[in-house]
Amino acid sequence: MSLLQVENLGVRFGGLQALKSVDLEVQQGEIFGLLGPNGAGKTTLFNVISGLTAASSGSVRWRGACLDGLSSHRIARLGIARTFQNLRLFSSMSCLENVLVGLHQHGRQPSLAALLQTHSFRRREAQLHQQALELLALFQLEASSHQNAASLSYGDRRRLEMARALASRPQLLLLDEPAAGMNPAEKDELQELIRRIRNKFKLTVLIIEHHVPLMLGLCDRLAVLNFGQRIALGSPEQVRRDPAVIEAYLGVGA
Amino acid sequence: METLLQVLFNGLSVGAVYALFALGYTLVFSVLGVINFAHGAIFTLGAYFTYLLIGGAVGANGLLAGLQLPFALPFWLALPLAGVAAAALALMVERIAFRPLRDRGSDPLLALITSLGAGVILVNLIQLLVGAESYSIPVGTLGSLPAALSIAGAKVRSVQVILLAIAGLLLAALSLWIDGSRSGKALQAVSEDPITAQLLGINSTRMIQIAFGISGFLAGMTGGLVGLSVSIAGPYFGIGYGLKGLGVLVLGGLGSVPGAVLGGLIIGLAEACVPADLSGYKDAVSFGLLFLVLLIRPQGLLGRPQSSKV
Amino acid sequence: MDAGLLEQMLLGALLGLSVYLPLRCGQLSLATPGFFAIGGTVAALLSTREPALAGSGSTYPITSVLLEMAIAAMLTGVLAMGLGRVVLRLRGIYLAIATIALVEILRVVTLNLEFTGGALGIFGIPQPFDSAAGYASFTLALLALICWLCDRLEKTRPGRAMAAIRDDDLAAASQGINTADTKLLAFVLSALVAGITGVVAAHFFNSWNAKLGNFDASITTLAFVVFGGSRTWLGPVFGGLLLTALPELLRPVGDLRLIVFGVVILVGPLFFPQGVVTPELLKTLKRRIRLPPTPTAQGGKP
Ligand SMILES: Nc1ncnc2c1ncn2[C@@H]1O[C@H](COP(=O)(O)OP(=O)(O)OP(=O)(O)O)[C@@H](O)[C@H]1O
Ligand SMILES: [Mg+2]
Repeated sequence: MSLLQVENLGVRFGGLQALKSVDLEVQQGEIFGLLGPNGAGKTTLFNVISGLTAASSGSVRWRGACLDGLSSHRIARLGIARTFQNLRLFSSMSCLENVLVGLHQHGRQPSLAALLQTHSFRRREAQLHQQALELLALFQLEASSHQNAASLSYGDRRRLEMARALASRPQLLLLDEPAAGMNPAEKDELQELIRRIRNKFKLTVLIIEHHVPLMLGLCDRLAVLNFGQRIALGSPEQVRRDPAVIEAYLGVGA
Repeated sequence: METLLQVLFNGLSVGAVYALFALGYTLVFSVLGVINFAHGAIFTLGAYFTYLLIGGAVGANGLLAGLQLPFALPFWLALPLAGVAAAALALMVERIAFRPLRDRGSDPLLALITSLGAGVILVNLIQLLVGAESYSIPVGTLGSLPAALSIAGAKVRSVQVILLAIAGLLLAALSLWIDGSRSGKALQAVSEDPITAQLLGINSTRMIQIAFGISGFLAGMTGGLVGLSVSIAGPYFGIGYGLKGLGVLVLGGLGSVPGAVLGGLIIGLAEACVPADLSGYKDAVSFGLLFLVLLIRPQGLLGRPQSSKV
Repeated sequence: MDAGLLEQMLLGALLGLSVYLPLRCGQLSLATPGFFAIGGTVAALLSTREPALAGSGSTYPITSVLLEMAIAAMLTGVLAMGLGRVVLRLRGIYLAIATIALVEILRVVTLNLEFTGGALGIFGIPQPFDSAAGYASFTLALLALICWLCDRLEKTRPGRAMAAIRDDDLAAASQGINTADTKLLAFVLSALVAGITGVVAAHFFNSWNAKLGNFDASITTLAFVVFGGSRTWLGPVFGGLLLTALPELLRPVGDLRLIVFGVVILVGPLFFPQGVVTPELLKTLKRRIRLPPTPTAQGGKP
């Protein structure tokens, strides 16, 4: 069974059909790319998967079970984490605290222990801090762990969002344009980084990105959306040669 | 016995006052996205200005004890002048309680507190100057009108007729202005989308001033009208109306002009329908209604739903 | 300082904390005076109508006050849980006004009911302490307890979740935080604090009527938090103490005192947009007096 199944998915915003009968299957362990021009509906698809937007038709299945109507915190708890295209960090908090919030699901402790600051409570809190610091280190953010999240550079903020998303120990990671705002050197590193975290955490990754070379180099499979419809699906090589894709991109670009 | 027509009339005239009040809030809300808590104080001052302009004398308890203007204007002239004075005051409130926050890019929520501060200052200034006693605007200032008219068998106080007529005029003028004039359209544009409006070259500071000016003018006129039809029950008398106005504003939908009018009329009529032996519960009726509407339609009757785009 | 004024200031600080709790979670609820009024009414009714509570000594027993507090807490807690589920679906100013509406409905109903004494209220509420100083010590202990609880809350998981919701509730939900339950927790805690504060206030004021929980009170308590700061519990405590004391301290300027009060809340947010007490300020202070910093839930620098 595939890990994530999107079946005949449609989303309407008033008069606008943002997604039209989209079908996708994401297999365990793969890096699956979503390409498509601006306004194609890529972010909307992420929003439906993560429970922020309701589907107008069709459904999303996680390990065979329907996610319909589940609120986003429940979906997160099932093991689906995401980043946001327009960066939604907790801006009054430090980097460390942002990641600690990501550890929310794993930080539950008895209230009484928390009130009395018992030994075991403090040991567990120290462990959480340690885990958060390790995640920051993985993204080369340990030096700014006490810095306010809002004061970071764009690329660092993108990486911090990834660290925060990973903190919840997801099985599926949704990355919405992780390279946007990064400089070329950072983009090159990103490809390597995403591969590394996929292997280290045994993740499945669903990634939206406009930077085509990165996507062709990184993804195992790709789907292309245009005007809310899936116009191509396959290996990077297949997608690159697909006439519909070439037309969609040239048609928009020209 | 109260006829249906009479109930309707009472409801309409109270509702018109609420609607005018809520319109003042809505104008400011639509350009700034915040509520001006000094609005009730501006309304109160409008009532006092009207009283002074028709030649009323200050009582014995304030710093201005015994003061009386050397002239006495007829009501129909005093009322708009009081409106203008209230508009000037509203501009002052904008200058001291709203603009500094905007200039510093602070959280707009803070304007709730700064405008409250401005309101507290104004209300207590009134108390200091003219005392806490209540004043009334004698119906005699209207000339030789009969106290009550008989319309289709219902006895209706003539001040209520006047109140309704003026309120109707103000509402008509306001909607003509919003739909028909350049600045009215610009105001709509700013309220729909402040950033795009700015890019299109609409001067938002100027629009904000216009919104405050008009809202102050409406509040001042409404204050004078209520002073005439009920009385000016001391410096704090605007607070109750201010609170009702807030309820009306939210019932109709924040930032919606037709919503403010609809909300005002609904609450006015609902209150008029409360039977006399339950009149103590009148205020609960309107807030209960508001509460129910919010539960069913969180954006109010005619408000736009809040969407949070990801 | 006069102990009666001190008592009022302490009550102000408690009410400030009650408004602060939802606000720290990003929820502008102005229901505090309503729950305060419920607590006061519970205390007034029980202590004047229930002979079993009166005890045999010359003063009203403290244990009875504690019992009233427990009953008030239970009542406000249950009520807040029911109401919170419903009103917390509203956002921003809509929530603020819905809660104001609730407070008004409650006030009008109390004003019209026989058993709450109507417009006059309930008189002759028995005194557990024979001096204002007794009240002040009791309330100080209560305030200290609640501050300690708030401090623990802020530094642990639910406090982090609240701060996250305030910053961005969509992102918080995407981290697996149950935002609805967390907001409800803050709302219920706020109601509990207001309810038990009402119990103390009813005894201290000696009489109780519906006017004590009105619109003015909603806004004044909000001013405590906005002025003092809403990112650490010290903010509302500071704001509540200072702004309650201010009109009294200004008595020498006579009629001008409320005008000066208005000027303070008009000017305060201009100079202290985050409130006077912020986590950053506390950190600077700590560094000055060379205390080792403790990790806080908000923006910590070593
Ligand atoms: N909440 C919403 N309400 C109304 N329209 C929306 C909403 N969210 C998205 N849309 C519209 O749906 C369409 C698809 O948007 P979406 O954000 O999914 O595109 P995208 O493929 O992510 O584009 P980009 O590459 O620019 O991020 C757009 O036309 C957008 O304006
Ligand atoms: Mg997108």
